[in-house]
Amino acid sequence: MKNDDLLQTILESYDDSNYPEAFVSEYDIMECLSDQNGICTFLVQKKDGENCIAKCYDKLRWGISDNSAILHNLDHDGLPKHIATFESDTMTVTVREYVEGLPLSRYAKENDLSEKEIVQICVRLCDILGYLHHREAPIIHRDIKPQNIIVRPDGSVALIDFDIARIYRSGNETDTMFFGTQAYAPPEQYGFSQTDARTDIYSLGVLLRWLLTGSTKENKNIRVYRPLARIISKCTGFAPQERFADVSQLKKALLQANPKSQGLRIAVTVLCAVLAAGLLIFAGVKIYQAVTYTPFTADAIPAYLSDEERVADAVAYMKDKYGTNMFDEADDVSTVGDLRAAMIDLYGLDRDYVYGINTEMPQESDEYFMPWGWDDGQTVDRDIAVYAAVKAHDPSIVADWSSIKDDNGYYPGVRAAAAFAEETGIMTGANRPGDITLGELALILANTDRVFDTAEER
Amino acid sequence: MGVKSEKISTQELWARLFKSPSVGDYLEKTGDVCEMLAFSEYISQLCKERQEKPENIIKRSDLESSFGHRLFSGARNPSRDTVLQLAFGFEMDTDDAQQLLKIARVTALHPRVKRDAVIAYCLHHRKSVIEAQQLLYDNNLPLMGGKRNEK
Repeated sequence: MKNDDLLQTILESYDDSNYPEAFVSEYDIMECLSDQNGICTFLVQKKDGENCIAKCYDKLRWGISDNSAILHNLDHDGLPKHIATFESDTMTVTVREYVEGLPLSRYAKENDLSEKEIVQICVRLCDILGYLHHREAPIIHRDIKPQNIIVRPDGSVALIDFDIARIYRSGNETDTMFFGTQAYAPPEQYGFSQTDARTDIYSLGVLLRWLLTGSTKENKNIRVYRPLARIISKCTGFAPQERFADVSQLKKALLQANPKSQGLRIAVTVLCAVLAAGLLIFAGVKIYQAVTYTPFTADAIPAYLSDEERVADAVAYMKDKYGTNMFDEADDVSTVGDLRAAMIDLYGLDRDYVYGINTEMPQESDEYFMPWGWDDGQTVDRDIAVYAAVKAHDPSIVADWSSIKDDNGYYPGVRAAAAFAEETGIMTGANRPGDITLGELALILANTDRVFDTAEER
Repeated sequence: MGVKSEKISTQELWARLFKSPSVGDYLEKTGDVCEMLAFSEYISQLCKERQEKPENIIKRSDLESSFGHRLFSGARNPSRDTVLQLAFGFEMDTDDAQQLLKIARVTALHPRVKRDAVIAYCLHHRKSVIEAQQLLYDNNLPLMGGKRNEK
């Protein structure tokens, strides 16, 4: 194998003494993941087979040991765990957990991500950045891009690659000028001003645009779900003060813009609107009913009956309701005695009240049921029957005690009863104003009962 | 890395070994892989072009037969070491091996990695996978198909 001499020459050129001795003895370098700016990132394998990521910093270019302690203490699911730091004269090596999964740059291309999933990823990044930004010594990642975000097999995300965060020193603008990934870096990262948490917010905005449109640059031809477009626009404001001041605000905006929660919100809004409209209509109907309310309406009285049928129906009604036979001889003329008997026996009025007579005739009063000195044997005309029937239910309707009689010789209370009866339909079927039969008395009483019963039901 | 003179000499040697000095460029261009063939399609096509049966390739790659066939059918994704073993199976030179690694979407052979240098050297000199493993072993480096899990 004479060629193998060449191999030996090559292998000898790998001077392991550059690396910290403990690192070389513990880890095998398996793959070189990146090599730039004096920082080499390797996939390394522990002797037990565990994969880790090692970052090797050339000490001639990076004096980082003062900052590295900040990163050692990080403990978040979305950040790879720090395992060890090794030092040699020329090199600092930090070893961290290897995060299984795919970089978002590849994951997004291989999976057709829905807006909901995209929002979910960005919300998780907000959580991670919130953890970094809200530390006592805030850490700004400053290189947020799809390549630095790993989507684990379980869908959770991790933010990797803290090179720039690590080496960043406040006040040192020249350092900030050529790091970060151009498309994702905000103007201040080119030296316009000092960088802070809003630098990461800018990059997250560009990331969101890339996830939604496939491009880091604004493309007016691609329609973006409007609430998300607004978020992108706010994240990527030129001046930091135009952006969200904090990732927690961004997270809140994302959750509110989430198409899922939007759907829910629309559903809730529609439901509320429907309920409100229903309530309004219900209230409107109720208000209308209250305004136009008349407790007594004719619909209590059966429709489409002849007068004879009405009388028969009323007799049956009274018999059924009060168990009385007093109206059986429906064609017989009704007397004052019949009316009084009905008031006492059927409506339970006091006998003295019903039979008492106002001593100072002809004035009415509410002291006595009928202010007239009639005998039980006298006939009864319709309007008197109506007066008695209405008064039995509600004396206040006929309580007009003035003494001016009308042309028919009736007192105002009788006129009030007749007017009420006309309005409510109590007179339905009793068309003769004169003396009435027992059947017609039954009709007036039954009609009055129905009108008042219906009014009570309302 | 670290001491500059050695860094340069390693890369010079790498360049001497393998005509393509553009590993760095290659690495930067690996980003856009969406229009590339699926790995299984690519290796199946290679077999057709070379009028070889996958069995022979699998055998020369020193891969377990059923596992090898699953790679050809696309039922499994290969790890980087498996891709390297297949590169030996196809008797590829370094450039072709880098292309194969790219299509499998794993990292390229890199001059910074001693183990990669040994593997690249063996590919360049058309050594068999067994010879390559022997050289890795002799230099106290992890063998191919060792402990890293398949995806």
